[in-house]
Amino acid sequence: MRVSNDSFSNNFLYQISQLQSQQTSLQSETTTGLSVTQPEDNPAVMNQVLNLQSEASTGAQYQNNIATIQNSASTASDALNSLQSLVEQAGEIATQANGLSSSTQLSSYATQVGQLIQQALQLANTQDANGNYIFGGTDTGSAPFAATTDANGNVTGVTYTGNASVADSEIAPGLTVSAQNPGENNTGSGTEGVFADSRTGADLFNHLISLQQNLQSGNTGAIASTDKSNLTKDENNVVTQISGNAVLQSTLQVAGNVAQQQISTENSQMSNDTSANLAQTLTHLSQTQTAYEAALESGTMVMSLSLVDFLS
Amino acid sequence: MLGLFGALDMASRSLSVQQEEMTLTGQNLANVSNPSYADEQLVTSQSVPLPTQIGDEGTGVQMTGITESRNPLLDSQIQAEASTTGSLTAQQTSLQNAEAYLDEQISSTSSLSVPDSPNGLASDLSNLFNSFQSLSTDPSNLSLRQSAVESAQQVTAQFNQVSAQLATVQANLNTSVQNDVASSNQDLNTIASLNQQIASAEAAGGSANQLVDQREQTLENLAGLANFSTSTEANGAINVSIGGVTMVSGATATDQLQAYDPGNGQLQVRAQNAGTQITLTGGSISGEITARDGALASLQSGLNTLASQLITQVNTIYSAGYDLNGNTGQDLFTGTDASDIGVNSNVVTDPSQFQAASVPNAAGDNKVALGLAQLGNQNVAGLNNQTFSGNYAQTVSSLGDAISSVNDQLGNSQAVSQMLTTDRAATSGVSIDQEMSNLIQYQKAYEASAEIVTTLNEMMQTAVAMKTV
Repeated sequence: MRVSNDSFSNNFLYQISQLQSQQTSLQSETTTGLSVTQPEDNPAVMNQVLNLQSEASTGAQYQNNIATIQNSASTASDALNSLQSLVEQAGEIATQANGLSSSTQLSSYATQVGQLIQQALQLANTQDANGNYIFGGTDTGSAPFAATTDANGNVTGVTYTGNASVADSEIAPGLTVSAQNPGENNTGSGTEGVFADSRTGADLFNHLISLQQNLQSGNTGAIASTDKSNLTKDENNVVTQISGNAVLQSTLQVAGNVAQQQISTENSQMSNDTSANLAQTLTHLSQTQTAYEAALESGTMVMSLSLVDFLS
Repeated sequence: MLGLFGALDMASRSLSVQQEEMTLTGQNLANVSNPSYADEQLVTSQSVPLPTQIGDEGTGVQMTGITESRNPLLDSQIQAEASTTGSLTAQQTSLQNAEAYLDEQISSTSSLSVPDSPNGLASDLSNLFNSFQSLSTDPSNLSLRQSAVESAQQVTAQFNQVSAQLATVQANLNTSVQNDVASSNQDLNTIASLNQQIASAEAAGGSANQLVDQREQTLENLAGLANFSTSTEANGAINVSIGGVTMVSGATATDQLQAYDPGNGQLQVRAQNAGTQITLTGGSISGEITARDGALASLQSGLNTLASQLITQVNTIYSAGYDLNGNTGQDLFTGTDASDIGVNSNVVTDPSQFQAASVPNAAGDNKVALGLAQLGNQNVAGLNNQTFSGNYAQTVSSLGDAISSVNDQLGNSQAVSQMLTTDRAATSGVSIDQEMSNLIQYQKAYEASAEIVTTLNEMMQTAVAMKTV
């Protein structure tokens, strides 16, 4: 084959430019540690990475949701536990009042129950860290319970201005939970009300008011026959709520772990997809470098010589 | 018999032939790095012999012409490959621009820790649905409302920006089509006028190697812009036709390319005089049109569909919701596609107007916010039953597919070009070694012929001296 000066330098340039571009890509793989950085590098991997990124980011958001709901749940849990001991105290008073005839003692009990009513009102209007009323259903902006009092300062009735709905939030794809319990739910469906619920017969404020009034009037028979059993319904209702809250908290815990695990799986999958095999890359790089050096050396050796050098 | 004078004449012809050979060697060496130059040789033959009684007697050498080493088949293959390379290069450049504008790059930090490509639409979409999720956990929270609105603004701004940038790529492609058409027409005119000069030079019996080189270079330049077919006439002229329409016939440029707007602003090419539309299959013009109407157009329509689905799906849920003041019926997103998607200005100035609740006057109701949040995981019928993120990932990887396929083809085409160029260099290129060895030969031949002249001179002096004796 006839080799002209053009053909040699053409070939030489083509070869070293191929080697150079190979070197550049290997070098960038080494410095970034990534074998895929642009969609054109590997479209299938890019597609997968974008999906994994979006899933991992959703997972991180679920963790945020879980943390927020955990806060609300623990606020609710504190309030529910206080409420339980309050109901227990009222139950004890109802038990002790049974068979008492001393009006001073009965009226002192009545005063205690009055205090319990005030405490219960306070718990009923509990706000979370963000100022939301936690027992108002989805009407979180205003205090859900309001009391009417008589001339002596005794609470004669408590009205509920919240609603019976709760706000669900997502903690995993398609899985929604709520840390909320409405204060009252007499609709017969949905999340049970904390203070009153038609299904369980709970109606704490009216039961406490009735207890107070019966103590004041010395109607111990009515206390024994109705108030005591009513308060038991209230206590059972609160206990149910507390155990529901505990179940929720453990659900959140599990969901948080699942989200965490999923994120780390997704991250490691992404890094598997995109990471360069450094050992392999470096070996290729050093091979390419050697080839490049050899090409330059041999090229300049051959190109610098011609018949001209040997003619005198 | 030639006689002394005849022999002297023969020697002097030999001297001038060697001199001419030297000149050509000089010319070849001077063009050693000129890629369009073809090695030239002097064609010599034995001059007409004299019939004598003892047989034909040689009268030396004569020059009959100068030829160049060209292989027309290789030339046409190189032209065809130049068209392929031109088309693919134009596609690669514009599509890589589009890819850069999408800004979906994996960076090393994002793949190792929590993924975050800070500028791309993928992360903006994730952030949007995440901010809806956050809002659903505390729907009355004003700062969460604010951040949901900001995420929405971020998404719309990114849609607008990418859309505008892709429109720029598209406009640049149209400008390139126009420029390349103008360059092609210039080349066609040049070829026609070179045809004329070559034909007249060859009709006068001369050779027009330099003009042929020049025409070959022009043809290759044209091939990079538009693919064509050629036919050679007996007088050396090359006829050029593009897309079946004759553009150059002999010395006349019979027709020209014209870029025209078929009505949608996307330039096409037709023959100016014939008026027929020309579908080019090679050259940068075809690459520009292919990229514009192919991968770029589907990228644009993919983004527009995504944006319009986002607008409809979000607004359908959102408009049924109630804001903190009990008002309803507003849309969150305005506009119809990626170019004009925007966020309702009312909710931007007052995030309490974000309609997160399903019923009025329930600040803690989050059904609409939750519905919006869950939209992020839903398969949308208008997006081929993919999620918003999934559909976008698909759009990005489709562009990646298109570029990667162009890259591969371009690599192949460059390798073929390289092979053909090497082949041609082997045939037509100048070899210094060859020229140098010829040089020695010509120099020695010149010396030898000069020696003959000297000897003849001495012989003639001897002959003249005989008279005086």
